[in-house]
Amino acid sequence: MTDLSTVTLGSTTDPYNRAAERGWDITDASQLTSSLDLEADVVIVGTGAGGGTAAETLSKAGLSVVLLEAGPLKTSSQFDMEERAAYRDLYQEGTGRGTKDGGMVILQGRSVGGSTTVNWTTSFRTPPETLKFWAEHMGVSGCSVEEMAPYYEHMEKRLSIHKWPQPPNNNNAMLQRASEKLGYSWATIRRNVRGCLNLGYCGLGCPVDAKQSMLVTTIPGALDNKAKLVHRARVVRVLRDGDAVKGVEAEALTPDDRGTTGQKITVRATRTILAGGAINTPAVLLRSDVPDPGERIGKRTFLHPTTLAMGIYDESIDPFYGAPQSIYSDHFQWQNIHTGPVGFKLEVPPLQPAFAAGFYTAAGEELTQSMDKLNHTQCMIALMRDGFHEQSQGGAVEINDKGQPLLDYPVNEYLLEGVRRAWSIMLEMQFATGAKTARPAHVNGKHYSSWKEAKAAVAALDAVAHKSKVGSAHVMGGCPMGDDPNQSVADCDGKFHHLDNLYIMDGSLFPTSIGANPQLSIYGLVYKLSSTLLTHFQA
Amino acid sequence: MPTDRREFLKLSMAGAAALSTMSAGATLSGCTSSVPASGMKILRPEDVELLRALTPAVMKGKIAPTDTAQLDQTLQSFDTLLVDLSEPVVIGVLQAFDVLNMGLTRGLTTGQWSAWSKASLEDAESALARLRDSGIGLLNAIYAAVIRLIASSWYLIPENALTTGYPGPPKKVAGVVPAAPPAKEAMP
Repeated sequence: MTDLSTVTLGSTTDPYNRAAERGWDITDASQLTSSLDLEADVVIVGTGAGGGTAAETLSKAGLSVVLLEAGPLKTSSQFDMEERAAYRDLYQEGTGRGTKDGGMVILQGRSVGGSTTVNWTTSFRTPPETLKFWAEHMGVSGCSVEEMAPYYEHMEKRLSIHKWPQPPNNNNAMLQRASEKLGYSWATIRRNVRGCLNLGYCGLGCPVDAKQSMLVTTIPGALDNKAKLVHRARVVRVLRDGDAVKGVEAEALTPDDRGTTGQKITVRATRTILAGGAINTPAVLLRSDVPDPGERIGKRTFLHPTTLAMGIYDESIDPFYGAPQSIYSDHFQWQNIHTGPVGFKLEVPPLQPAFAAGFYTAAGEELTQSMDKLNHTQCMIALMRDGFHEQSQGGAVEINDKGQPLLDYPVNEYLLEGVRRAWSIMLEMQFATGAKTARPAHVNGKHYSSWKEAKAAVAALDAVAHKSKVGSAHVMGGCPMGDDPNQSVADCDGKFHHLDNLYIMDGSLFPTSIGANPQLSIYGLVYKLSSTLLTHFQA
Repeated sequence: MPTDRREFLKLSMAGAAALSTMSAGATLSGCTSSVPASGMKILRPEDVELLRALTPAVMKGKIAPTDTAQLDQTLQSFDTLLVDLSEPVVIGVLQAFDVLNMGLTRGLTTGQWSAWSKASLEDAESALARLRDSGIGLLNAIYAAVIRLIASSWYLIPENALTTGYPGPPKKVAGVVPAAPPAKEAMP
């Protein structure tokens, strides 16, 4: 086994080391001692896949851009690959974000770069099946495979998205081997990396800036184009003047990002773009009390509800090291698009210890003895494609009396059937590749010692919501785009239907889940929308 | 346990009303004390007692009930973890702890009728099993949250992470060029 703990890494790749030299205008709102008032052509709320892409596109054309980010600016100099600091600083609610009834844990990024700072670099174009479904059933125009292709091509080039050229780590190799053995289709994943050292810490912030996240690509690009970045600034609401939006009002957060300092940030702008992701964007709209005649805001929010199975092998797996995701299988994804049982994508996650322990869904010796063999453990995940079938309407974003967002998304029978089916498939794949024991993520699950035993046990498990581990790392929808103002929140240019000068440019525009890890879907769509918005400025 | 079942159902309604969410939202300030225990930022004295009882059961094989030093360290880690979560999450966790701490609901939900400080390892294991196997989703959710938080707290301590066969992450040294980096991928 490669022991990476003996490897020393520097911090010379951090582009923010030269921020002053490059004339970057970056404000940490926690340090403000008075209110801050800014004016710009465009204010962008959020710096993730959507905000970063829009910021670079618009600033490159000479527009003045202000980027507001609720999270902190954390850069590779600070990325030490320790789990605690990463979860605290780089994830929404310190990885504690969950659905309203506690049924699903939601992993979502929250620092500058948003989820792109912590995602596992997996890059898929929006699947043709999904784009076709949107056109045929969700009132989306202008987003066919052919119409989208140039935008994906541009972003793929910008972010160095390419098929991973190195052999998969053993965690991923098992997914490939099992697929070959059982006759399932599989393929190599494309990743947004440049000079990747194959370490495996994408989820804790890339320590060497190989991941081409927004943090090191479009945001530095926008800053070079004189965009202003204000971080630790949480947007409360959009500012209105009649039927037009005039900018946003934000509050400064404390240095630990958990409280407010009392200082206000006001940005007046010709155009306002919301790109806070599929929980925070609907929350801003709900707090702003904007018109919503069809009561669509925050509804149909999707998660790719994901369950898992752990297999223990004699050979080393070292699932904490190596490119986290390099192999996938869509064998069970597209049997039917919107009729019949839920489809799912098979992938694997990286398993750093606290992350693995938190998702084991076990206690006592079942937990500790399993965790003792983490270096021999393989994990499969199944990501359910929610939002296509009539029994899969997703969840609803609400705000509480403090204006904090909350996603109400009960795991229903339709999804639970998929969860149980996925356990069987994943366990069989693990035994087929030589796992000595394998365990589904159910509180009463055990490490079974044969496929036969596991199959019978899974059939007997009480697969109800809170006993079955289901989580999410992909939040989508809630502000769907579409041509019909009664069925959607924004038009297909991303413009909010019911107010002028307000745009949405993030994953909340998706009318269903994507059926694939969503980052490239967001990049491509937002590059298209921001390019279109630019033509309005230039007209 | 048919009689227990009836009690559980009653609790379900009361509990669901009080604890409308595990992860956010409700504004009840609980009926237990609101002051953190000595040396803690969030955990209250009764939460500390609760976690002293439950942690050796969740981490069986790693922490014995008598291993005070390990327990203290894990509880400190738990407290820090809470600080690192968000206000809505912490409110939800403390409300769940209220259910497990207050005499009547503690007894009904976990079968632990005496104080947690009097619970044996077996009592704690049986309490966890009752939450796990309950027919009430709310209690299952409390179980899932408690075991996730305790397990994470223990494995977030770097030396404990090494017990899994994980050698640890590479060392990050400010201002230093990577020394002998592992094989680099071919540039696209």
